[in-house]
Amino acid sequence: MKIVVTIKQVPEADKVAVNSETGTLIREGVESILNPFCEYALDMAVKIKGDNPDINVEIIAISMGPPQAKMALMRCLELGADKAFLLSDRAFAGSDVWATSLTLKEGIRKIVPNFDLVLCGKQAIDGDTAQVPAELAENLGIPQIFYGIDVNVEKKKIRVKKETDNGFQIIETRFPALITISKGPNNIRRLPSMKNIIEARKKPLEVFTADKLDIEEEKLGLNGSYTQVINIFAPPTKEAGRIIDGGDPDKAAEQMIEFLRKKKLIKFEVE
Amino acid sequence: MLEINEENCTGCKICEKVCPFGAIIVDPKDKKAKVLDACTLCGACVNACRFDAITIKRKKATKEELEKFSGIMIWGELEKDKNENLQIKNVVFELLGKAQELNKTLKETISVVILGPPGKIPPIDVLYHYGADNVYLCEHELLETYSTDGFTTAITTLIIREKPSIFFYGATVNGRDLAPRIAARIATGLTADCTAFDIDEEKQLVQTRPAFGGNIMASIISPFTRPQMATARPNNFQKPIKDPTRKGNLKKFEVTIEKQSIRTKIIEETITKVDKIKIEESEILVSVGRGIGTKENLEIVQELAREIRGIMSSSRALVELGWTSHPIQVGQSGKTVSPKLYIALGISGKIQHLVGMKSSDIIIAINTDPEAPIFNVADFGIVGDIFEIIPQFLKLLRSERRKTIT
Amino acid sequence: MKSVSSNTIRSKKNESVPITGIRKIHDSQIISSDYSAYLVDESKLEGTAEWLFFPKTEAEIISIITFLREKKIPAYISAARTGIVGSSVPKRGSIISIEKMDRMLGFGVDQNNGKYFCRFEPGITLKAINDKISKKEFEKVKELTPNAISRFMEENQSYYYPMDPTEMSASISGTVATNASGAGTFKYGATRKWVKKIRVALANGEILDIPRGKYFASNNRIFIVKQTDGTDLIVKIPSYEFNTNVKNAAGIYSKPNMDIIDLFIGSEGVFGVITEVDVWIMEKNPLISNVLFFNSEDDALDFVEKIRTDNTVSPEFIEYFSGESLDLLRNVQSKNPVLLNMPQIPSKARSAIFFDLPYSEDILISSMEKIDKIAKECKTTLETSWSGYENREFARFKHFRHALPETVNSIIAERKRQYPELHKLGTDMCVPDEKLGEMMQYYHSVLRQAALEYVIFGHIGDNHVHLNILPKNTEELELGQKIYEKFAKKAVEYGGSVSAEHGIGKIKLEFLKFMYAEKEIEQMRAVKKALDPSLLFNCGNIFEFKEV
Repeated sequence: MKIVVTIKQVPEADKVAVNSETGTLIREGVESILNPFCEYALDMAVKIKGDNPDINVEIIAISMGPPQAKMALMRCLELGADKAFLLSDRAFAGSDVWATSLTLKEGIRKIVPNFDLVLCGKQAIDGDTAQVPAELAENLGIPQIFYGIDVNVEKKKIRVKKETDNGFQIIETRFPALITISKGPNNIRRLPSMKNIIEARKKPLEVFTADKLDIEEEKLGLNGSYTQVINIFAPPTKEAGRIIDGGDPDKAAEQMIEFLRKKKLIKFEVE
Repeated sequence: MLEINEENCTGCKICEKVCPFGAIIVDPKDKKAKVLDACTLCGACVNACRFDAITIKRKKATKEELEKFSGIMIWGELEKDKNENLQIKNVVFELLGKAQELNKTLKETISVVILGPPGKIPPIDVLYHYGADNVYLCEHELLETYSTDGFTTAITTLIIREKPSIFFYGATVNGRDLAPRIAARIATGLTADCTAFDIDEEKQLVQTRPAFGGNIMASIISPFTRPQMATARPNNFQKPIKDPTRKGNLKKFEVTIEKQSIRTKIIEETITKVDKIKIEESEILVSVGRGIGTKENLEIVQELAREIRGIMSSSRALVELGWTSHPIQVGQSGKTVSPKLYIALGISGKIQHLVGMKSSDIIIAINTDPEAPIFNVADFGIVGDIFEIIPQFLKLLRSERRKTIT
Repeated sequence: MKSVSSNTIRSKKNESVPITGIRKIHDSQIISSDYSAYLVDESKLEGTAEWLFFPKTEAEIISIITFLREKKIPAYISAARTGIVGSSVPKRGSIISIEKMDRMLGFGVDQNNGKYFCRFEPGITLKAINDKISKKEFEKVKELTPNAISRFMEENQSYYYPMDPTEMSASISGTVATNASGAGTFKYGATRKWVKKIRVALANGEILDIPRGKYFASNNRIFIVKQTDGTDLIVKIPSYEFNTNVKNAAGIYSKPNMDIIDLFIGSEGVFGVITEVDVWIMEKNPLISNVLFFNSEDDALDFVEKIRTDNTVSPEFIEYFSGESLDLLRNVQSKNPVLLNMPQIPSKARSAIFFDLPYSEDILISSMEKIDKIAKECKTTLETSWSGYENREFARFKHFRHALPETVNSIIAERKRQYPELHKLGTDMCVPDEKLGEMMQYYHSVLRQAALEYVIFGHIGDNHVHLNILPKNTEELELGQKIYEKFAKKAVEYGGSVSAEHGIGKIKLEFLKFMYAEKEIEQMRAVKKALDPSLLFNCGNIFEFKEV
């Protein structure tokens, strides 16, 4: 069985701060990491491999990104991927969701033409759009199931436990399919052993440039994108209200009641 | 492509500092900016440069192409109510409100698309009352429950026939599944999770959304393709004022859907035993974070919620610990809520949480840390111990209530 | 001008400011109700005070000192109060809190060795120091040598201040006063090594500006402070030689012809108030963090010996968890795995060694394979290990290492409910390299015989492990305290120290007596009497005076 895991390298989004005066990002001290949801997808692939010891399961990690995204792929190799491929080229710059999904599709078709499963993280923590998986699935012509928190495979079927607004669903589909993962199978993030670290560097990690993929130039990068960012700015800050010291809980509680009374937010009549 | 005007460039390095990707640097040799491979053309440096030294060349759309498309369409997503009957989701009305606003400039027709099983469609007149001019209705057995394949086929068929200029979806679980699939099928631009929409001078839809976990906002346009599609955060836009006298046109349409073309099957569905009232519908939320200390202490939060006629919601931290469940999670990877009153207990207020609740009308926060970011958005905050203040609050509230009896 | 020999230093008089303008609290009730945090440190020893001062400048410190000296009120110096031996706990009198003095003042390049150095006010925390350096925040920082800051801004290389006692909220002056150490001390030495200059306010109300390498004790162990009124303070350095063969924070530093700056470093505030500190910083090199598990303690000790003597392996530090420590954490992990946030601790492991190595993709495979070879010689494999090189992984490793003492603390807190006098017994002893194995065996055999619950962990690279006894009741507490004394004496017998990093403070006075003869301690008192004749500062730290 061939499982493709598409991954993205992202900055640690919650450490990125915004200078509210200039509306610009402060990048100092922010590391680039494997997108956490992509890591969950990889963990799921490794779990599927572990669940099926009598099948030869191969896990291939693929990413579209700049050269430094290699380290995110290396992380995948350390955590159990067998091979990794980076689709990287200046021509890909400026790609929006559409161009990215097209590029990834070509990459997958070229590298793993007879894949069985594509696993993706539910969203990237920088862009947060969560759109590439669906557009990729459409371009590959395969069914999609999103927000998976558990994946089990049988001979011809895939069963996914999916998180919904108010509970869960078990959804079934056939191979090949694309599944996005919102929560991994492990409660704790795994750590590679020193042995994994060594072995990862002996596994194949190849870079594919644009000429190795069959895409017309005008479909790549900015030219191939249908959406354009025209502005980036800091979110509006709400004005802070009244903050009091809670050292005297009696007084503090009193003031809170007064506040709510004035704003008519709680009822004082017994119902 | 990103172009640098070396004459204008003074080597001031502001572009280096603001680039989220480390993709532009000032060459120490000639002190001019140079763009690197990692550039994604996001435009942050263009905004920051004070010397007009950086530009991004973009293609312009042709007017004839764009003019063939007109009208705002909204996916009328349905859901089951308490009695298992289908009803129209709230977000549809929120989007109608927004569409009406945009229409002040655009002056096009507003339509809602409803897909569902024959005989079980909820009353649709209410959509006219909230601003729809047309309702496109497709009744088909295979559209009884949501499926990517069935719904993509139906809506795509309609879009190709009717050529709307704009198509909105709620960024719900299904909306986020459906919209990008359609976008890929008809090869059009899509922006997800938007919190604001505007029309620019060229009548383009400007779609604004949070990124980097809510740390920045990005404004986006889809200049060359139609329809301009966007998914919108539920509970973010205002439901418009109802006009019960308003009328509209019902337009039924048909699609061919083969049974085998629907490739996913729901085997089982579970609704977790949470309050039947959803947090996004409650007017009062008592939200709890790490500061609660233990799972057992949640009892006091529940007590407070009951006493003020609200329901409990939670930050991500407690959901990850397994003390609360995902349906009541507020935040970037949970739900967006905008209740009348949001009380945050022991929540520090990380940006990913704030993004999910900061448009609440009134926010009250209690936390022992005076530097907690939640205080930046609170209308009323107490730096103190929830275990001392809440019991006292309940005591006072109850005694006040007893007074009103006499 | 008359030239002075290198053992003579002039103290300087600066302008003083009226005491009325300085923020202060004068009421022991208010201090104990609203400012009770200033009466304790992490040792939980409780003190008392009538006055609490918050100076903002060196001049204000001088005014306060003059005021207290004239009124004969004892002074206790307070910074971040993260010490664990009661050094900043006020016995009585007054507290001088330098917390408001927390700025970075200057930045320069040391003309002698080419290294960058920073100048700080005494109250800035280690965390703030590293933040400022990594973010290159130099607003209002003076350039102490030409173009130092502009040169630093051009650097692609990251820099940091390498001293990392567990508590990064400690103040720079606190770390100088205690000669603080951390894991990094294994490779980079203790704070002493990094201090380039200090300014100290003496009880006479004058300032000593002491750069390293300028003032040295004479052959007959004298150094002289020439006061502005022409009179001299004659200071006689103790005749013992401070044990520098091991990590040592016990007692006043003394060496023949010593650099005078070293007298003040590690003196726990008994000689004066540090008003300014210059420290060197160094390049921050990428690291890969590792923890390797072993089937027995002997295998782990064998590994430690091999990697610290092999000069092709250059660990940043070597830290240790004993089998008992792992068992404690296994317990936590089974109840609350998310709290520990690490993969399952291997079930057969009886010992763990943490070590960071220099990291670069070029040398990674060869350095790992080297460790592989050594690991096999110590009967374990690289499969039972964890490894990471991202900042967030370092944070996880650190969190895991700290989980042990934190779990000990919470177990003790639980037991205190039944036995309020209980507290953990923690050791801070170390021995020379060749005695490590014997000392570890001694610890285990004594404790197993006494059937007490304990964990052992710490800076094994420096032969400095912390042993925590967890008494279950009062009898065990008393037994533990006796055993603790045995250990202290053994450490001294082996040529080690009773306190490798925590210092003596007010709670280890008895232990100091195992290491120094009474007449040697008397020599320490003599230094204090010379520099602080009215016994103004931090009385009760390191040694006591019978008259008081």
